[in-house]
Amino acid sequence: MAGFRMTNIGFDMRKLALAILLWLGLASVAAAHASLTATEPQDGAVVDAPPARYALTFSEPVSPISLQLIKPDGTSLSLDKFVLRDRTLDIEAPTDLKRGTHILSWRVVSEDGHPVGGSVVFSIGEASAAPPPVPELVDWQVRSGLWLTKVALYIGLFIGIGGVFAFRWFLVGSRAGTTLAGLALGIGLLGTIASAGFQGLDALGAPVSRFFDPVIWSTGMGTSFGRTVVVMIGAIILSGLALLARSEAISRWLALAGLLAGALALSLSGHASAAEPQWLTRPSVFLHASTIAIWTGALLPLGLSLRAGDAGSVTALRRFSACIPFAVVVLLVAGTALAVIQVQAPQALLDTAYGSVLLVKLALLVLLFGLAAINRWRLTRPSEAGDAQAVRDLVRSIAAETAIVLMVFAIAAYWRFTPPPRALAIAAAQPASTHIHTEKAMADLTVAPGRAGPVTVSAAIMTGDFGPLDAKEVSFVFSNPAAGIEPIKRKAMKPGDGTWRADDLVLPLPGTWNVRVDILVSDFDIARLEGKIEIRP
Amino acid sequence: MFKKLIAATALLTLGSTAAMAHVTLEGKEAPVGSTYKAVFRVPHGCDGKSTNVVRVQIPEGVISVKPQPKAGWKLEKVRAPYGKTYDYYGTPTSEGVKEIIWSGGNLGDDEYDEFVLRAFLTPDLKAGETLYFPIVQECPEGAVERWIEIPAAGQTSDDLELPAPGVKLLEKAAGH
Repeated sequence: MAGFRMTNIGFDMRKLALAILLWLGLASVAAAHASLTATEPQDGAVVDAPPARYALTFSEPVSPISLQLIKPDGTSLSLDKFVLRDRTLDIEAPTDLKRGTHILSWRVVSEDGHPVGGSVVFSIGEASAAPPPVPELVDWQVRSGLWLTKVALYIGLFIGIGGVFAFRWFLVGSRAGTTLAGLALGIGLLGTIASAGFQGLDALGAPVSRFFDPVIWSTGMGTSFGRTVVVMIGAIILSGLALLARSEAISRWLALAGLLAGALALSLSGHASAAEPQWLTRPSVFLHASTIAIWTGALLPLGLSLRAGDAGSVTALRRFSACIPFAVVVLLVAGTALAVIQVQAPQALLDTAYGSVLLVKLALLVLLFGLAAINRWRLTRPSEAGDAQAVRDLVRSIAAETAIVLMVFAIAAYWRFTPPPRALAIAAAQPASTHIHTEKAMADLTVAPGRAGPVTVSAAIMTGDFGPLDAKEVSFVFSNPAAGIEPIKRKAMKPGDGTWRADDLVLPLPGTWNVRVDILVSDFDIARLEGKIEIRP
Repeated sequence: MFKKLIAATALLTLGSTAAMAHVTLEGKEAPVGSTYKAVFRVPHGCDGKSTNVVRVQIPEGVISVKPQPKAGWKLEKVRAPYGKTYDYYGTPTSEGVKEIIWSGGNLGDDEYDEFVLRAFLTPDLKAGETLYFPIVQECPEGAVERWIEIPAAGQTSDDLELPAPGVKLLEKAAGH
């Protein structure tokens, strides 16, 4: 940190260009799930000498997929010497860099299996007149593929595996809709396999044309999503066997095993499973997925069986009605727990893309539960009693439910592209920091979180020549003359880790704040260090 | 209108009192190479608390310091080596009093007192500059006022929150 000086770029056009680049970088960060929380050099920094190393720190553990340095002349250099230290990626920097603006373009895959990309812009000596272009754009073909395969996977699990479960546990004797369930299993199998390829394309930032490249597939299977693919294929095979098995008893247990394996597959990757606390999120995903499969999987077979007027259809309806309320309660409890963990603050429902997707999903669920309630309390009893009109209405209503369920899958699959507010909050909590160096003393000052509101200020204090400085007292003084905010002074405490800290400070506004660190070196000697710090909204 | 004027005047007066409320030196100017009687004027305590301790740091180049005892105050002289050896009327002097502490007193926030010392301003001090005496004023319950800031180049004492009292150094008086 202290090794080089950071200055602001004085040139407006450059600022603008950098702002656009920064925005592009942030935009690509926002499209994924592990968030970049700190970089070295800092984004937008101008450094005196080429940095000896680069460091990227993320909100959760990651593994790098591609690291490139784009030089001022637009040529790129692959950075393949790096070390992972917990959540920080330490990258060895080339030493023969020339003056001008460089872009460190990174792409990593996070614990939740989602690749993340972004750029850090820094300049050596001075910013170039025109920064090199950032080669980071959303590939809509790959994105559509990811989305479609995810929907197919959902169809395979919830309609296919869930459907087979319904045949074996609710509709004993009826064969209505087995072809459809088989079809759903097939779609699921294809989707699951193809999703590994699209995951690989996305991870490497490769175009669809490289879909059959083995590297793409090994990369896709190497992410945490690979586990989901393997287990899901197993689940589909189990369910397929359950569909074909002649022995009633064996097929029942196969169907159950398929259902449990399918739910397990979903809990092995994805941002909900990666969230903390894991003891809660992973079982919640498992329960949510298995109860969805039990409920939605039963809809089609039940509707078709009723329409066909099968002998066993009324018994099946009775079993379904007796069972499903418990499944729905579990589904709602697990779903609510996950939503609360991911969204954190209700405001995020309105402010974030993730929240909007959740709201649309909830609206569809209200419709779905409305239909389910009508089915249960208005149509089930007359249907069981043999009322032909009620049966027709029930079949229609079940068809509508199935359509809504498919829409819910389509919506939920879109979460693949929206970071949950939980991850965004980690990014927002990233501290702001500044280094103030005078002849007498220096301070590494950190404001956490680096945004307006209540903050904790801490500082490491040293003498001007990097020696230890055992100060008697330290105070932080913040002011924002541009906003008419007079100095706010806080006396710092020594928490015992060698730093000085003040907790009781509120910075009401974002923007550039003046900060002063008053260091009482001895009874008669005070050093006042003045600097500026950027506070985000 | 008249009332407003009075209010404004009162404000101004009070305002200037507040600005003047730090510890100052009575004698504003003194020639180098002579004995100086420094009178530190303490106009108030620390945030309403009475003052129990007054500490004065003796700047480099000021030697042969003798504080004036005060009734009701304990007097302590902290000796330390000087940065260099000074010539005091032909006697090389390399150490002496570097800090004076008046303690155990009780100077109310609404009272005024003066603390006096006599010292020799060596000719090594540069005429034209200002010599600062950092002061620490201690009150009960750990309350402290420190008048210890020395203006950097381009600053004046008015720019500082906690200015140390200073004396402007004049050319050595002729005839000695």
